[in-house]
Amino acid sequence: MTIQDIRIGSAETSGPGVVTGRLKLADYPDGSPMATPVAIVTGKTAGQTLWLHGCVHGNEYCGTFIIHELLRSLDPAGMSGRVVALPALNITAFNKNQRMSPFEGYGGGDMNRCFPGVEGGPLTQQFAHAVYSELKKHAGLFVDFHTAMTPDVNWALYANYEGETGRMSRVLAKAWGYRDTLATPTDMLVGSAFMTAASQGIPSLIVEAGGKGSAFTREKVEDGAERLRNVMRAAGLLDGEITDYGPIADFERFDWVSAPRGGLFQPMVKCGDSIEVGTRLGRFFTIYGDDDGFAESPNKGTVLAIHPGPIMTNGETLVHIGLNPREQIQ
Amino acid sequence: MKTIEVGTAVSDKPGRVRGRLDIGALPDGTPVEIPVEIVRGAGDGPVLWLHGCVHGNEYCGTYIIHELMRRLTPETLRGTVVALPVLNLTAFLKNQRMSPYEQFGGGDLNRCFPGRADGPVTEQMAYAIYTPLKKYATHLVDFHTAFTPDTRWALFSAPGGEVSEKAETMARAFGYRDTLPAPPDLLVGSAMTTAARDGIPTLIVEAGGIGPAFEISTVEDAAGRLQNVMRALGMLDGEVTKYGPFNYFTNFAWCCATKAGLFESTVKCGDTVTKGQTIGHYFDLFGIRTGEATAPQSGVVLAIHPGALMARGETLIHIGLNPREA
Repeated sequence: MTIQDIRIGSAETSGPGVVTGRLKLADYPDGSPMATPVAIVTGKTAGQTLWLHGCVHGNEYCGTFIIHELLRSLDPAGMSGRVVALPALNITAFNKNQRMSPFEGYGGGDMNRCFPGVEGGPLTQQFAHAVYSELKKHAGLFVDFHTAMTPDVNWALYANYEGETGRMSRVLAKAWGYRDTLATPTDMLVGSAFMTAASQGIPSLIVEAGGKGSAFTREKVEDGAERLRNVMRAAGLLDGEITDYGPIADFERFDWVSAPRGGLFQPMVKCGDSIEVGTRLGRFFTIYGDDDGFAESPNKGTVLAIHPGPIMTNGETLVHIGLNPREQIQ
Repeated sequence: MKTIEVGTAVSDKPGRVRGRLDIGALPDGTPVEIPVEIVRGAGDGPVLWLHGCVHGNEYCGTYIIHELMRRLTPETLRGTVVALPVLNLTAFLKNQRMSPYEQFGGGDLNRCFPGRADGPVTEQMAYAIYTPLKKYATHLVDFHTAFTPDTRWALFSAPGGEVSEKAETMARAFGYRDTLPAPPDLLVGSAMTTAARDGIPTLIVEAGGIGPAFEISTVEDAAGRLQNVMRALGMLDGEVTKYGPFNYFTNFAWCCATKAGLFESTVKCGDTVTKGQTIGHYFDLFGIRTGEATAPQSGVVLAIHPGALMARGETLIHIGLNPREA
């Protein structure tokens, strides 16, 4: 059985194959469109539609590169179902190498707190509405790509909903296979694309791979694309044996710790490290280079993200900690 | 012993003093005061002036200066080290190259020396810094970074004569293989070129990349090399480590991208490239390879764009030209 054709923006499928186009999100003042790229790969036989998007935060390029690496490897003739990919979602922020759109004025600019969006809302809400309308219509499964600060970032979140949505979300997480994985409670990350989608029955995964800007490696990109193919195997889009990457932690929550002070800063832990309450996370220096104390962990858990230094202002994200794993991961 | 006074840091005897140099003021009246540290030995000797973060997000230099200053003790020092680890403080705080307060002037502090007391923001900074530099410094080392952690090269002022000889001594004692004897018409308005015109031999060290893109091993290694420069200048005891051989360049080529797209480089700092050689690949928004970047000149890679994105006109590659063993 073949799949029905779809159209997203100017990307219009016509049977199996690859099509590309642009989805208009908004207008620039000069009248040209703010339009985000869309690629659709349609397989030979019917199956799930896997929706992928990256750069919800404009400077998280590692996800764009992972999606691209996957797209280049797909053969529609050897695939079931469909992959819809929007690799550079927040396109105006993407162009400026920054997290939020430079055109956002008074609204909250964090696009991953704006879903499902508001049609007549502030700019980023309008972006979210334009994207989410299509996502809701077409997505059967959803993977959203993010980064943190350093190249060694390596964790994932799945939507821990009751029933089939939560079960399938965990299947995606297992197939992706990062050890450090959060079973995201339903009251967390409200307004994110993945929790919004999951609340409407779409199994969803967030991948956190690499650091912002150019802080990621080619190995990370290639490994990510292979893990995505494994997700596709687990979802029946690709044939082949599913790789078992081992146990996943199923963290209960995370602790996003803001810096209580500023200074020059050098981290002393890496992503994936186990830490206790009081573990030294990094050292501070004065502007003259004198030792000026340590940042200590307020919690016991696993380092998901750590500030890379070399300078810190109060309130910056110091460390992101995964808490209370249900599975033994050490 | 002659008094050395840089802002509120006043050194009139052996020991360590600290203070702040006023280089500007914010609209609410808060002065922009940059840190100054002076370490002075018992005996007379050179006054070695070190500064970093002329470009605000080039933190590796700040860390190198800090590492050196922690290693120095007045008791074992001849002469004086004057260290200003953070010059462009308002840019430093914002993790950006140029001051966020600069408006209509050119914001590149390293093109503003010797500066003007009544010029635009960045020229006033340059003036406040250069005035004591010119008055006291006998030697200058200025720290910069490029894009990537593997950046590792140096320039010394080579206008000819004694300034060139002294600057070359510093460069050889610092010992990075890839080194440019900088002709006097290069980097006009830089602290290096300006100081050289005033008879102060200067070394620029390019170590590590912008923001957090540098390694502590680079910091520690560079601090050790600075100590070797100080041995070569007679400021510290001990045998001078001989580095070499060197690649001396005749000039550099600062090549801008003529295409745009997602970008992945295929060369590293220190690699030898020949004109026309592939140095990176461009991709469109769908991940399709749209072309390659090629080396516009032959030479040695001094800096390479790290990706992941390239706008037309960004610095694609910085190439040291005509390397010869020296």
